[in-house]
Amino acid sequence: MAEQESDIFHMTVRELLTEVKDLSEVIVDLAYASLMYNSEEMAEKVYGLRDEIEELKYAIRVKTMLASRTKKDAEQMAGVLQVVAAADRISHSAVDIAALLQVPAEKRPFITELIDESDEKIRITRIRAKSDMVGNTIEQLQVEAVTGMKIIALKNRQGWTYDPDHDMKLRAGDDIIVRGTASGFVRLEEFATGLIPWEFPEEGGDDL
Amino acid sequence: MMGKIETMLLELKDTSEFMVDLAYTSLLFNNVEIAEEVMFLENQMDELGEKITEEIVSLGMEKPQEIARFVVMVRLQIAIENIADAAASIADIVLRGLADNPVLHMSIKDSEWTIEMATVSEGSIMAGKTFGELRLNSHTGMFVIAIRRGNSFIFGPDRHTRIEAGDSLIARGPEAGVGFFKGLADGSEREI
Repeated sequence: MAEQESDIFHMTVRELLTEVKDLSEVIVDLAYASLMYNSEEMAEKVYGLRDEIEELKYAIRVKTMLASRTKKDAEQMAGVLQVVAAADRISHSAVDIAALLQVPAEKRPFITELIDESDEKIRITRIRAKSDMVGNTIEQLQVEAVTGMKIIALKNRQGWTYDPDHDMKLRAGDDIIVRGTASGFVRLEEFATGLIPWEFPEEGGDDL
Repeated sequence: MMGKIETMLLELKDTSEFMVDLAYTSLLFNNVEIAEEVMFLENQMDELGEKITEEIVSLGMEKPQEIARFVVMVRLQIAIENIADAAASIADIVLRGLADNPVLHMSIKDSEWTIEMATVSEGSIMAGKTFGELRLNSHTGMFVIAIRRGNSFIFGPDRHTRIEAGDSLIARGPEAGVGFFKGLADGSEREI
């Protein structure tokens, strides 16, 4: 999420790159979501994320140059810079997509349908009081691992949070915008309404 | 009901998102096979992109009063193609052999999930069965996200989709499930 410039320069190249990769994925989802929900606010967030990626890109450039001593270093860093360039390109494309919001809605009726028909759906659901999700963070629930759905935005009493952090706690009445398959969403809705109990991932089960 | 152009744009969009997914995965696991799939899809995108352009031009001449709508389509198409190109340039890192790099590996490898490709042999118990019959996900933990059959892809197969010998399955799941999944595909695992 939003990093101060000084923080950025204290991050390692590895950390910076992880951030760039994650942002480059969520920015595209948000761009399509802004068109789907006709949301100027979401489009603004897309522009904001693009600026964040710009800052990260700059920090990575400086750091990779400082880290290059040998030809081998340079080759490694060339790979890193190529990822960053690609993520940057993705973020600019996301901005181009979000910018279509400026076109009068009657000129782009097909876009909503197109997004709706995609393999990867964007959907909104409300977390009900009797859901097991209430009171847990996104990380504790491992929402994406359990349902295949990624939370791209969340609305609570404080308003909208886009690309919420893993330690964000979910509460009754929160609205979440998610991205994933149609069947994943059906499952998520069952959890969100409290119809079925959450299946908490087993601790350490990944190492088996 | 979507028109011809909209349907093609939808395929373009779905493919571009799949490519980004596959490209980052190929990078993360330094997997040349998956990187090559990204490049294959990139070529298909180029062909599809040309068809869409032709279609928009001819429809635009037929219905000049709707030109604003066609401009929106072209803008969307370009953005989608740029995303696909970016995915291809990520896969290119793997194909150049630059992904064998601790910075790239560790940076992105924060998830316990992986993507694997497996080709179904003639002798595999998967051949000729539907996903509903096999219940692969329950048995292996692996979830098939796409099937490559010859030159075409089936995205998001459902329980009625039948697997054929020669299909390449692209599956996502925990690393622990990969061995059994691959064994089932090559025929060395006979029981599910």
